[in-house]
Amino acid sequence: MSLVSAILESLEKMVDENGWSSVKSVTLRVGAMRQVIPDVMKFAFDVSVKGTPMEGAELAIISVPIKFSCRGCGAHWGEEELGYLCPFCGGTNVDMDQGMELELESLEVQER
Amino acid sequence: MTTKKVEVQQAVMAADLSYAQKIKDRLREKGILMVNLIGSPGSGKTTLLEKTLGKDGLRAAVIEGDVATDRDAKRIEATGVPSIQINTDGGCHLEANWVDSTIDKLPLDELDIIFVENVGNLVCPAEFDIGEDHKVAISSVPEGPDKPLKYPLLFTEASAVVLTKTDLLPYVPFDLDLYWGDVGKLNPKAKRLDMSCVKGEGLEEWSRILRGWLEEKRNG
Repeated sequence: MSLVSAILESLEKMVDENGWSSVKSVTLRVGAMRQVIPDVMKFAFDVSVKGTPMEGAELAIISVPIKFSCRGCGAHWGEEELGYLCPFCGGTNVDMDQGMELELESLEVQER
Repeated sequence: MTTKKVEVQQAVMAADLSYAQKIKDRLREKGILMVNLIGSPGSGKTTLLEKTLGKDGLRAAVIEGDVATDRDAKRIEATGVPSIQINTDGGCHLEANWVDSTIDKLPLDELDIIFVENVGNLVCPAEFDIGEDHKVAISSVPEGPDKPLKYPLLFTEASAVVLTKTDLLPYVPFDLDLYWGDVGKLNPKAKRLDMSCVKGEGLEEWSRILRGWLEEKRNG
């Protein structure tokens, strides 16, 4: 729910700054590590936009899979092996390359 | 009236992060460590604080996050350390802007460490940077050993993982090897701690960890 509030806050600011009359659709990139359940987020969004320029907008969620890489051996892996321990060399110098995204990708807006 | 598509490519949490940075700057200037305690309702966060506060020579304060009621805050008040309660009115976690507006009400010149007891929840508090130096994941024996894999974000973000209520191990089926094995895979760098506040197990080690973090912060 608070992720939805953060999204709405960003949207409202953009609508204000650009003088759009309404937002028709919102495409969001959400990392799988964000623990977001798309249906729950869509429901929270639909409920929260009532009475705002986003009312009735369609929310599309692009799920970004989790990816790790090891600085030690250069290996890459995904969610089948979750975590900061390299399943190939056992090293701990590991980066999460993607999976924490929460980004507005694009919007369809109605101009005045 | 025309409809057009707009490419945005913008991270959503920017506002939150700017508050978190403000808190970090403020606490660095004052040399104060901030530790964010995250765990389920009933995992033992408040009890751990009761066993910590005033007993290890660190000058502490507590920010209590709760959905409703001031019960935990009352328990903390009884220890005599300064505490401030943030009621989230149903919100499932604390956010940096609330912590920011709270922090200057604490006697910052007299503190070594601020503990934040986050709202009891394994999901949302892990998402939000509130300007802390360290997140601590707290989970208890009766909750079962599957929590790390079910709530991986918290366990990967935590600098330390505390398993509480280990005095219940003889009575509750709990696979310690499975639990710590999963924690080790998710986050091999996290400090790992078995703890029983009833028996006093793990409290000295906890104190050492806190002192180590404080030293790191003041020297770093």
